[in-house]
Amino acid sequence: MRRVDVARVLGEETTTEDLFVSSIGGILDDWWNHRPGGEDNTMSVSILGSVSSTALGLAIALPHRRVVAIETDGSMLMNLGVLCTLGAERPPNLTVVVLDNGLYECIGSAPTLTSRNADLEQIATGAGCLNCVTVHDEEILREVLRSQLDDDELGFVVAKIEPGMQVWPAEKKRYTDGVEDKYRFIRHVERLEGIVVHASSPHV
Amino acid sequence: MAAPVQQSGPEAEHDQAQPTGDIPAYAAAFVAALRTAGVSLVGTLPESLLKSVYVAIDRAEDIRLVRVSNEQDLPGLLAGAYLGGKRALMITENSGLRQACEPITRLAFAHQIPLVMVVSYRGDFGEPNWWGHNHAQVMGPLLDALRIPYRVVDRVDQLDTVIEKAFVHADASQWPVCLVLTGECIEGGLS
Repeated sequence: MRRVDVARVLGEETTTEDLFVSSIGGILDDWWNHRPGGEDNTMSVSILGSVSSTALGLAIALPHRRVVAIETDGSMLMNLGVLCTLGAERPPNLTVVVLDNGLYECIGSAPTLTSRNADLEQIATGAGCLNCVTVHDEEILREVLRSQLDDDELGFVVAKIEPGMQVWPAEKKRYTDGVEDKYRFIRHVERLEGIVVHASSPHV
Repeated sequence: MAAPVQQSGPEAEHDQAQPTGDIPAYAAAFVAALRTAGVSLVGTLPESLLKSVYVAIDRAEDIRLVRVSNEQDLPGLLAGAYLGGKRALMITENSGLRQACEPITRLAFAHQIPLVMVVSYRGDFGEPNWWGHNHAQVMGPLLDALRIPYRVVDRVDQLDTVIEKAFVHADASQWPVCLVLTGECIEGGLS
């Protein structure tokens, strides 16, 4: 299973009603091209270690809406303490999907510690997270997602993926910066929820 | 355990600013100010100078208290809540600012996301603990280096106003702000 396969399956098993918080790195363009509906439904945070905490805040803010955190092993390992918070809060509308290739692939494929003895499923289980599972196969991933996205419980899926990055042509790559991403995500949430998240003051 | 504080109108808000049972006045006033500002989520790594605040929020059924194990989780938590249209703030000792620097910089700054941060002023004038002084020595220069506007709040009667202003300032600037609590606004009233 490749990273782009996980993006495709997740895109197929979610809808335009869902919201996503993703990590940076190789997943960016894969998810950008497979996100449901081509909407601005994904906040791609420009930092490792804050994907799940951002998704947790979003899931608490919008408890009626499904939220998916698209994590990576590098991001998760940067801040394992967040698993204890997830395990304590257990937001029922949040599913965490960790793409784990055991590598910091974008910076030259140096190994992460999941390539040694660290097991994210076991760490998450020990931290109190629910429905922790590791999958290696696309069809199993699809079954697990169908179950976890609709079970009204916190979910935690470690998707073991092979090394290798999908090469996207220029017109398929994402070029927006972090500020534009934020505003586009905010306006999408406003349309979806019928709320005002941020309204600037008038110029005069 | 005392019953959660309930709210229904200005009179009730006034009542909530009074000490209830084992909750001192400063903590009751702080929670009342959160309600006035419409805060529904507080993220914290608890410490001693605001210890009654955490108890008071935990008892408040209308404000969710999320405890973390490291302050670096708090900017993300607040960012997610903001993107979902809710008012949230974080509370830590001023030492927690140092732990949170990376997500403040790479999350809040890179995306220009407002954060309302409340910290206790460990090391303020009269600090009796030797280990607390470094927190104060670093706090101001660190906030200045981060270009985060901050106000030191030492009077309980200021809480309502400064918390509301903090949210207005953060949202209009799309940038974090920080309130530093001391004096009447912390446990035991260090002054």
